[in-house]
Amino acid sequence: MISFINATCSFRKNAGVKNLNFSIDDGEFVFLTGPSGAGKSTLLRLIYMDLFPEKGKVLIRDYDSGKIKDRQIPFLRRKVGMIFQDFQLLKDRNVYQNVAISLYASHYKIREIKSRVYDILNQVGLGHRVHHKPTELSGGEQQRVAIARALVKEPIVLLADEPTGNLDPRVSIELMNLLHKINKKGTAVIVATHNYSLIKRVPGARLIQMNDGEIASIT
Amino acid sequence: MTILWFLFKEGFKGLLRSKYSGAFSIIIIAISIIMVGFGYIIARDTLFMVENIRSQFDVDIFILTTAGSDDIAVFDKKLRRMNEIDRVIYISPEIAAEKFKKEFGEDILDILDYNPLPPSFTISLKPIYRNLMSVEAIANILQRDSVVDEVKYRKNFLIILEKYQRIILVCVLIVFAFLTLISIILTSNSIKMTIFARRDIILTMKLIGATNRFVKTPFVIEGTLEGGLGALLAGLIIYGIIYVQNTYLQSFFNYTLIVSYQYYIGLLLLGSFLGWIGSRQAIRRFL
Ligand SMILES: Nc1ncnc2c1ncn2[C@@H]1O[C@H](COP(=O)(O)OP(=O)(O)OP(=O)(O)O)[C@@H](O)[C@H]1O
Ligand SMILES: [Mg+2]
Repeated sequence: MISFINATCSFRKNAGVKNLNFSIDDGEFVFLTGPSGAGKSTLLRLIYMDLFPEKGKVLIRDYDSGKIKDRQIPFLRRKVGMIFQDFQLLKDRNVYQNVAISLYASHYKIREIKSRVYDILNQVGLGHRVHHKPTELSGGEQQRVAIARALVKEPIVLLADEPTGNLDPRVSIELMNLLHKINKKGTAVIVATHNYSLIKRVPGARLIQMNDGEIASIT
Repeated sequence: MTILWFLFKEGFKGLLRSKYSGAFSIIIIAISIIMVGFGYIIARDTLFMVENIRSQFDVDIFILTTAGSDDIAVFDKKLRRMNEIDRVIYISPEIAAEKFKKEFGEDILDILDYNPLPPSFTISLKPIYRNLMSVEAIANILQRDSVVDEVKYRKNFLIILEKYQRIILVCVLIVFAFLTLISIILTSNSIKMTIFARRDIILTMKLIGATNRFVKTPFVIEGTLEGGLGALLAGLIIYGIIYVQNTYLQSFFNYTLIVSYQYYIGLLLLGSFLGWIGSRQAIRRFL
């Protein structure tokens, strides 16, 4: 489903990632770890094609980083869900609107939008928070809104960049359990994190360890 | 359908959300429109004034004193048939004498014992022929007629008028192009501020797979609405100024400002256009 073939992506001064070679199959759960600056975020950005490799290529299903046109990128992103450390919710909209916007952008019909949004909010345990603004929610709840927004369009993979970075340990574990549950329903999940203690929460997950832009070990 | 409804709602909501920066854009657009709106009135009235001066232009045709009344009647008919001519006035020697008396206060018959004034015609041309080239051509044709002694008109008057009209026209065009350009730049920049304040929406939208058009449309709708509202504000202010001028200052300046309702519709369209093009320009930076 996702393949990196000799992918190198560097920034003006620093190397981002070098010579990445690996692939991830449908439905897998993958942890991405390594010290700060190892290139975890860069790797994820290559997947949702916010960055492009200057050498090698990245393949996501039918999309090839070397051939994709600008106007195709939105369609790729409808298949790739993303969540971040800082949630990136729209502060002036309530929970329902934050999630629904994802479906509006994918041109769903209003009736389907409603049922899907309520359904997904129940799944992440936020059925009772539909009309709250993000500022009225705890960090864990905000991250679950972000997850709902990413999942509501039924992506093939969910990318999580340091999803527990702003959450306390107990809420972090809850969130990991939620991601695990989502993965068991069939969505591939890739989580970038420093937090090794979370890794054992998901038995059978693959582990990619990065160092200095390169893959140090892979299971 | 769903998507159109969503994009329009987003556009409207954006306008309400943007508060200060939105109000600022509206004011900027209003100022732009007031500039262009008054620019238009001033240009229109200046050109109208020139046209008015031009309408006083006429051509005198002096008839040979030897011409018989039948020949004059034939010539009169010929003049009235000419397409280029708007109005024909026949001035018989008797009428000419009366005019002379009115103008100089003395009876020409008292001075000379006979009336030396020839019969003449005063013609005014249709507006499109009141230019040097046409007048010269028409005068040449008339001159060739056997009853005509002399065709007289104020050539310098036309030359000067045409020169000034050209200068005024060029100035008007330059000023207009300049004002419009300034308006677009001002509008685009103030809308850019509005968009900058909400760039998180653009970022999020792009992240969740919205096409550029989807991201752009609400901002363009918002900009167009701001343009319309700016035009409305400008229209009210212009209406107020015109009202004050015509009610209190009319006798002072001896000038009445007249605009039709089409003028206000024009302002509205102009405002919406400014908002539309300004927001399209502004959003490009953020996509
Ligand atoms: N926008 C950028 N401009 C320049 N250099 C960058 C940029 N983004 C990342 N880098 C560099 O690329 C390398 C990899 O960065 P990346 O953000 O992928 O690391 P990371 O593993 O996600 O780190 P962290 O755990 O701190 O999030 C680092 O050396 C970083 O300085
Ligand atoms: Mg990172």
